[in-house]
Amino acid sequence: MVAEDFQLVAFTLRIAALSTLLLLGPGIAAALVLARYRGPGKGALETVLSLPLVLPPTAVGILLLEALGRRAVVGRWLAARGIEIVFTWKAVLLATMVMSFPLFVRSARTALEEIDPRLVGIARTLGCSPARAFLRVTLPLAWRGLLAGAVLAFSRALGEFGATVMVAGNIPGRTQTLALAIFSYNQTGHDERALRLVAVTVVLAFAALWSAEWIVRRRTRRAAI
Amino acid sequence: MDRPPAHSASGDLIRLALDLPLARFRLRVRLDLPARATAVMGPSGCGKTSLLEAIAGLRPRARGRIVVGDDVLLDTDAGIRLRPEARRVGYVPQDAGLFPHLTALENVCFGARGGRRRVEAALEALEIGPLRSRHPVSLSGGEKQRVALARALASNPRLLLLDEPLAALDVELRERILPYLLRIRDEWNVLLLYVTHNLGETLTLAGDLIVMRDGAVEAHGPPLELLGAPEISRASAGGLENLFRGRVVSHDAAGGITDVALSGGLHLSIPFAGTLDVGATVTIAVRAEEVLIATAPAPHLSARNVFPVRVLSVLPATGDAIVRCESRDGGHVWLARLTQSAVDALALAPGSAVWLAVKSHSVRLA
Repeated sequence: MVAEDFQLVAFTLRIAALSTLLLLGPGIAAALVLARYRGPGKGALETVLSLPLVLPPTAVGILLLEALGRRAVVGRWLAARGIEIVFTWKAVLLATMVMSFPLFVRSARTALEEIDPRLVGIARTLGCSPARAFLRVTLPLAWRGLLAGAVLAFSRALGEFGATVMVAGNIPGRTQTLALAIFSYNQTGHDERALRLVAVTVVLAFAALWSAEWIVRRRTRRAAI
Repeated sequence: MDRPPAHSASGDLIRLALDLPLARFRLRVRLDLPARATAVMGPSGCGKTSLLEAIAGLRPRARGRIVVGDDVLLDTDAGIRLRPEARRVGYVPQDAGLFPHLTALENVCFGARGGRRRVEAALEALEIGPLRSRHPVSLSGGEKQRVALARALASNPRLLLLDEPLAALDVELRERILPYLLRIRDEWNVLLLYVTHNLGETLTLAGDLIVMRDGAVEAHGPPLELLGAPEISRASAGGLENLFRGRVVSHDAAGGITDVALSGGLHLSIPFAGTLDVGATVTIAVRAEEVLIATAPAPHLSARNVFPVRVLSVLPATGDAIVRCESRDGGHVWLARLTQSAVDALALAPGSAVWLAVKSHSVRLA
C-alpha cells in the first residue's frame, strides 16, 4: 500500500468512529422514545427517523445540501458564523451520521423494548433517579443490542457513498473516503489499486464484526459464572 | 391462623383518595386502612395492580391523596407528588421482578438504605445466604420471591406492596413463604398491602380486607367479618379451604386409606396414596363445604375422620353460615360452611362443644 492509501484508511476509520460515537447519545434517546412513548406523533417520528434507510442515499445527500445551502435557515445560520460544512470533512461526518442513525436506532430500540419496563419502575422504588435507573438497569440489560447497533452504524459509516459524494464531494486528501476512492480508482482504470482498497475494507468489516462478537462472548461468559 | 395483627394506636395508617383513569374504567379508591397488614382481593383486571403502582408512584396520571403515617406521598390539590424514589414504598410484583443481570446479593444490595446491617438482617430473615452469588435465572420461584422480599426490605420501606407474591408458587412453597411474610409484618415495622386470590392467606396475614371490582371498592372490613360475603367467594380462587401440613404415618392398601398426622397430633385418614413415603411431609386441603358438624360423637357414621372441636364463632354468609372451630390438637382452626337452618337446628354458638366429621374422600392432597 502506498502512503495515500494509509491516509485514506486512517481518515475513513476516524470518520466512522467519530460518527458512531456522536450518534450514540441522540440514538439512544430516540430509541428510548420509540420504545417507551405511546402517544400522538410517534408514527411520524418513526417515519422521519427511518427515511434515510428507504430513500436513495443520493437523495438524502441532496436534501442535506439544500438544508446547508444559503437559501435554508440552517445554512444561513452557519454561514453567518463562518462555519463551512459542504465539501469539507465535516460534511463527510454529517452524511455518515445521518445514514447510520436509523440503523443504530432500530437495533437499540429492539434491545430497549425487550426490557420489562417494570424493572425500571422497581429500580425507582429502590431509590434510583430516572438517570440512575437507566445507568444501573436499562443500560446493562440493553448493552448487547446497543453494541450490535453501534457495529452496524460503524460498518455503514465505513461504506457510505451516495450521501457523502453529494455533500462532501470526492476530494482526494480532504473528503475522499475508502468507498469514494474505490469508485474513483475504478473509473480512472486503476483496477489494481481499487482491488487493494476493497481488500482493506473486507478486513476492516471482519475486524469490526469479530471484535463485537468477542466482546459479547467474553461478557456473557463472565455473567454466566 | 387468625391472630389479629396489631392495629395502630393513633388512627389510620394509610389514607387513600385515589383517582386514576384506566383502559376500561376509572380506578376510584377512598379508603382509610387501619391495619398493619391489608389484603386486596378481586377478580383479575379489577385494578389491584394499578392501585399498588399508583401508591408506589409509578402511575403519573394518578390524582388525589396518598398518606402513609404522617407522610404525604401524593396530594395533587396541594401540588405534592413525591417521586417513587422518595416514597420509601417497596414493591414486589407477582414474578418477583429481579434484575436479571445481578446476583441475588447484588439485587438485595441494589437499593439498600440503612447500611450493611440491614442488608445482613434482610438476608438472614429470608434465609438467602446460600443463594447470594446465584443469578435470578437459576433461582426457583420461591427463591426469587424471597430475594425480592429481601431486596424490598433492605431498602428500608415504611410500606411494602406485594402483588400476589405467592400466586406463582404451588401450595407447599406458598406455605413456606407465608411464615416469612408473617415475620416481616411482626418484626420489621413495615406496613403491608397485599394482593391475593387466596382466602387462607388473607386470614393468616391481614387485619383488614379490601375487595375490589372494576376499579371500585366493593367491600372493606376485617376479613373475618367479610368471610361470608358473596364478593369474597367470587374473588377467591379455590373457595374456602382448610389447609394443613401433615406427615404420612402409615398406609393401609386393603382399607384404601393413608394415615396422616397433623402437626398438633390429630390423625386424618385420606384416600390411599401409596406413592408417598412414610414420613413424607404433605399439605392437605379440605373444602369448608365438605366439613360436617355433629353435636354428639357419631360412631355409626361412614366418615373416617371424626374429632371433637370447640366452636369459636358463627359468621353469617348469605343464607349460609361459616362456623369457625378450634380442634384440641394444638389450635388448628377449621372452617365449616353450613346452611343457616343447620346452624339453627344444632343450636351452634361460640363455645359449643361439637364434633367435626370429614370423609376421607373430602381430603385432597394440595
